[in-house]
Amino acid sequence: MSVEELAFLALAGVALVTGVAALLVRELVHTILWIALFFIDLAAIYFLLSAPFLGVLQLGVYAGAVTVLLLFGVMVTRKRIFSREAATGLGAVPLALAVVTFIFVVATVGEFPQGQLPVRSVDPSALSEALFGTYGPWLLLLGLVMLSAVSGAIYLVREGRE
Amino acid sequence: MTALPIVGFLALSAALVAVGLFGILTRRNFILLLIAIEIAMSAAILNFVYFAAFEGGPVAVMGQSIAIVVIGFAATEVAVGLGIVLALNRVRRSINVAEANELKL
Amino acid sequence: MSVLNGLFGYAFLVPLLMVLSFVIVGLGGTRMKRLEWGGWVAVAFSGAAMVVGVLIGAGEMMSPGSWTNVQYTWFTLPGAGPFPNGFTLVVGTLVDPISALMLIVVTVVGFLVMLYSIEYMHHDRGLPRYYSELSLFLAAMNGLVISNNLLEFFLFWELVGLCSYFLIGFYYEKPSASSAAKEAFLVTRVGDVMFLLGIFILFSTYATAGPLGSGGWAANGFVFANGSQPFLAGATANSTTLTVAGIMILGGAAGKSAQFPLHVWLPDAMEGPTTVSALIHAATMVAAGVYLLAVTSVFIGFTSFVSLVIVGIGGFTAFFAATMAVVHPDIKRVIAYSTVSQLGYMVLAVGAGFTMVGLYHLFTHAFFKALLFLAAGSVIHAIGTQDLFKMGGLRRAMPLTATAFAVGGLALSGIPPFAGFWSKDDILASVYSQLGAHPAYWPFFLLAFAAVFLTAYYIFRAWFLAFSGEKTRDPTLPHPHEGPWVMQVPLIVLSAFAVGAGLFVFWPNFQGLLFHGYGVGGIPPTYGTTDLLLSAVSVGLAGSGIGVAWLLWGNGRVVDLPSTSAAQPVRRLLLNRYYFKVTYDWIGAKGVYTVARAADFFDQYVIDGTVHGFERGFAWTSDRLRRIQSGVVSDYAAYVVAGLLALFVLLLVVAPYVVAHFGGT
Repeated sequence: MSVEELAFLALAGVALVTGVAALLVRELVHTILWIALFFIDLAAIYFLLSAPFLGVLQLGVYAGAVTVLLLFGVMVTRKRIFSREAATGLGAVPLALAVVTFIFVVATVGEFPQGQLPVRSVDPSALSEALFGTYGPWLLLLGLVMLSAVSGAIYLVREGRE
Repeated sequence: MTALPIVGFLALSAALVAVGLFGILTRRNFILLLIAIEIAMSAAILNFVYFAAFEGGPVAVMGQSIAIVVIGFAATEVAVGLGIVLALNRVRRSINVAEANELKL
Repeated sequence: MSVLNGLFGYAFLVPLLMVLSFVIVGLGGTRMKRLEWGGWVAVAFSGAAMVVGVLIGAGEMMSPGSWTNVQYTWFTLPGAGPFPNGFTLVVGTLVDPISALMLIVVTVVGFLVMLYSIEYMHHDRGLPRYYSELSLFLAAMNGLVISNNLLEFFLFWELVGLCSYFLIGFYYEKPSASSAAKEAFLVTRVGDVMFLLGIFILFSTYATAGPLGSGGWAANGFVFANGSQPFLAGATANSTTLTVAGIMILGGAAGKSAQFPLHVWLPDAMEGPTTVSALIHAATMVAAGVYLLAVTSVFIGFTSFVSLVIVGIGGFTAFFAATMAVVHPDIKRVIAYSTVSQLGYMVLAVGAGFTMVGLYHLFTHAFFKALLFLAAGSVIHAIGTQDLFKMGGLRRAMPLTATAFAVGGLALSGIPPFAGFWSKDDILASVYSQLGAHPAYWPFFLLAFAAVFLTAYYIFRAWFLAFSGEKTRDPTLPHPHEGPWVMQVPLIVLSAFAVGAGLFVFWPNFQGLLFHGYGVGGIPPTYGTTDLLLSAVSVGLAGSGIGVAWLLWGNGRVVDLPSTSAAQPVRRLLLNRYYFKVTYDWIGAKGVYTVARAADFFDQYVIDGTVHGFERGFAWTSDRLRRIQSGVVSDYAAYVVAGLLALFVLLLVVAPYVVAHFGGT
């Protein structure tokens, strides 16, 4: 097994552990920490997959902005929630559904080529050309969506709303 | 040029989807819901990145571009979700999703 | 005269006038205090109906045998199944000799009774109801006699029965009255069902219910008799159908006319006011059964078997009812049994083929029986009791009533020259003349003959008990006196009829009402040697009956049977009406009630149970389903995921399997 494979295994394991932990711990602030680790781990995976730009983006947006946002959310509502609410035990049906989903998705794995495949790196300049050229409209759309989202969020949380 | 088994990656994202799904279906705390959604979305984004990496060529570019855009959407969605959390919190004094089971406030 | 003939098309006016009376008195009677609560309105209408009825009768007399059929097609159905040519239902009126005769009877007696009621019912409550129901009855009865097809006939028949129910139960607060009303209705119902079955049989065989005349049956190729009226082709054609239909129709007639074994309701019907008894249970409704038989004999015909049965029932009932009248202490019930007995005579005559003779007796009987009832009513109105053993010596205080009752009694007994003699003797003579051809008639003839003695006995027993002697046996009774003119006039008029109606038969124009082409003759009565001999014997019997009655009860004597006498059980048997009613009650209670309980059980637990089961099933299911909508978003998300997975399974697993195994695209 090559270094990369080992690295992948480790990173995958960390991802799973942090993901599950984030959902199961009692203290809400702890889940924020776990989820931050999760995002950083994902970034590492991206680096492994020769997508450095994406890795940086992940770190910046997710591990940075999203985590902070979540933390703010937790802090603002904190005094009104009880830790008990953070976790509500395991229901049987959702667990079953989750497991079934996993099986389903994995079942399709058989159609993919087995064995090792080379990882190709992407030329950053080609990426930027495509991103702002061919897929420019999508970026614009994203911008518009963000704008409307921000307006909506401001409207939702403005004072005087009961 | 490293060589990696794609099967494992797909298994990883499948597992992450399952974890995220589990979180959506069971957690009552709104913020935890958001987190769970993020986990699942991350799994989807991972898939795009895999295919970008293992295909190469124009497909790779497309894959990464899509991944970038989706990351942006996900972040947006978290922001809006938190806005909803704050509004809900103000009205109901709690962010227990199970308590918000009527259509009226 | 053509003017009168022109009236025939307006025969419907007679029932229509009474319907108007019914509506007006029914709706507005409570406001007519000064009009005797609608009584005078009803009298006016029934008087108008009487005028029209008598005019029609007169017209028929002037043009004897004429026959006016006014009809409207109700609906026509195309041919199908047993009716390859389709069939037509009609409504209409038929004025022919026998319906004109009946019309006279019903309208005249109806008017007189209505007039009498003004005083008789004066102290009763609920008078608007009385007068409107009585009007409706007259409307129905008149409609019945001018119906031109069996279905319409049946409709009025039922309506008549309904009015009888109302009127018998007029004093509905008395439990005996309301149960008597129910009994009347239910017993006649048995007959009515049979009648309806008979109609169905005829209908399904001949594809028509009438008109009781041309068109329907004639169109099926039946033989015409006596040149004018159609008559089903003899007893030989399709005789099983005719026999069964005939028995069924006889059942209906027996129910309505209280013949054995459906006779039980008539004595109990005396619970109603005496005027009701006079009109309905003496002159009209009970005569409807005889009228039905007459119509059937003319237009359909009886097979020989059916004729025998009719003769048997008529003769037997004539005797059987007379025996029960012999011991009864209630004056109204004596007269009621007498009605049953005399109806037996009429039925006997019609069964023997002498339709017109039977109707002739119906005609005379209507008058003298109504007279007897109204005279009894006069007594009851004066002293307030119906018990013969409390009465006595009334002839001094109520001479008119006493005379009227005597006249009625003489007519009933068949003493010449009173009306009953002519008609009853005609029946006996006619049946006698048939004995050679139908030896099976002998026992019934003898029974009818013997009943003559009993008839005279019981009616004069009643007269002596009530009117002879010095004073009333019960000193607490109020002082009797005659009623006012509204009660006396009907008594006088009816007495005149009771005397003279018998002689009408010798008036040629009246004969036009009675015979043209119907029946096998007997009108006018001929008096050969056998007939004279028979008449002498019957008058002798009647006379001796009166004599025995005088011996036992005259001059205020009361004869009590010693308690150890052998006749006591017989007396009890008669008083208890041969235990018929008890038996019928028992059958009803045990048999019918058990079936009713079973049906009720079935209805409640099975049918209702099924319905409620559905109801509960639905409620349970929807209650369960309702819980899906919990409002909790996580649950909804779970449902979505489950649905998605199911979709995946369908698309990725099931579909390829189906395609692989069943082909197709």
